[in-house]
Amino acid sequence: MSTHLLNLNLRVWRQAGPNDQGGFKTYRLNGVSTHMSFLEMLDVLNEQLIAQKEEPVAFDHDCREGICGMCSLMINGQAHGPDNATTTCQLHMRRFKDGDTVTIEPWRAAAFPVLRDLVVDRSAFDRIISAGGFVSVNTGNAPDGNAILVPGVRQEVAMDGAACIGCGACVAACKNASAMLFVSAKVSQLAILPQGHPERNARVINMVAQMDKEGFGSCTNTSECEAACPAEVSVAHIARLNREYLRASIFAET
Amino acid sequence: MNALLRILSLPAQLLTKVPGLGPFMKVLSTTVGQKILMAITGLSLCGFLVAHLGGNLKLYAGEQAFNDYAHALHSLGPILAAAEVGLFATFALHIGLAISTTALSKVARRKDYAIKETKQGIFILPNGGASNWMMLTGVLILAFLVTHILDMKLKANPGVDYSVATNAEKVIDNEFHAVKAVLSTPLNAVIYITGIVALGIHLSHGVRSALQTLGINHKRWNLLLKIGGILFAWGVAAGFIGLVVWAMAYKG
Repeated sequence: MSTHLLNLNLRVWRQAGPNDQGGFKTYRLNGVSTHMSFLEMLDVLNEQLIAQKEEPVAFDHDCREGICGMCSLMINGQAHGPDNATTTCQLHMRRFKDGDTVTIEPWRAAAFPVLRDLVVDRSAFDRIISAGGFVSVNTGNAPDGNAILVPGVRQEVAMDGAACIGCGACVAACKNASAMLFVSAKVSQLAILPQGHPERNARVINMVAQMDKEGFGSCTNTSECEAACPAEVSVAHIARLNREYLRASIFAET
Repeated sequence: MNALLRILSLPAQLLTKVPGLGPFMKVLSTTVGQKILMAITGLSLCGFLVAHLGGNLKLYAGEQAFNDYAHALHSLGPILAAAEVGLFATFALHIGLAISTTALSKVARRKDYAIKETKQGIFILPNGGASNWMMLTGVLILAFLVTHILDMKLKANPGVDYSVATNAEKVIDNEFHAVKAVLSTPLNAVIYITGIVALGIHLSHGVRSALQTLGINHKRWNLLLKIGGILFAWGVAAGFIGLVVWAMAYKG
């Protein structure tokens, strides 16, 4: 594929700090290679801003290969940009046309306060995980492999939930800023496996309680989260969370 | 705006703080629990719709059959009154929870996006399909419900001539003629069809959504549930619209 160079208008959300009002600022960026990833394009923009003695745009990123869940960005109204099952770092500039205006916003949710520019604080997710997204294991000798039998089909379903990278695109895309897809993926993967059963009832109750405490919205089953999810986590997990919640609330011993 | 939303979200928050009601309230004290209650009340109201439509289909059987049915229903007395109280409570819960969870969800977004697009496919309804029309159609259904009770139960619509349904003592006793009088004015026909179409849209998402909230989702059943939900919604709507058309076309 031959390289084309794009000239873009970037409409970027700039916000100096958590308490700053913030607003859009438009930058002209010329000569963007179509082979660049979206984050590389932002790197080039920042080089340009630094050369002009302006503050570079703050944005989250880490592995740049779609597995760490650090990158975010609402790109032209789409979480992680226009492609399905893709994170922002895997999005390439060939998806854009010369002369395009690209609007870039941070995730918007009360539970994800903006720290600076496009960086939001997603530690609400960490606190939900701390509330129940773990299993207890014995220390000491390593257990025998395959000592606990798990049918292959169940492994697959658990893995589908475990594919969640915790990026927060589900919250960003949901009209209610609900974290149900994230929480359900984390509840699901452990509810399905025998290793997760000792904490099974407490897990769902505590994680849902923490989710509410963080101020996420409720689920209206629009499936917008599933469409936006870069890891293709299915809303079937939300139904499983609802079942787990009913089971734990009604039938649990404690 | 935020202050208003906080006031609207009070019922949901109060619900989380009611002490002494035991495990039941605990289930309902979270957003998940409240959505489960929305689902249960919604499906209960669907059950009422089926019963209501079933009874009203007696209109096709003629004046005598429908009036017999209406009188039999009214002669239940206290049982009917208790059922109506239950029905109103179900409506109130469903509507109250809808308002409070929507308000809380608006607070949860905090700031709207400058641009918001979707990766979901094309819907018949714009703006992301029926799931994003629940509040609007819900408000329309509520407005229709009030009109409907004024028209049919209280017989208080000034635009309708109820005299055809009254007996010698000036008491309305012919429900068949009362229904026909209400439905056969052009304005009412438009109001009723609008309300019923809103109901169809509401249920076309609502039924499937309620089942999902109750945890019913399995790839073996999903297609059936999706089609079944839509068929139920528009089947009920078509049944009621049929009665409006019948009333307008009815001679004699």
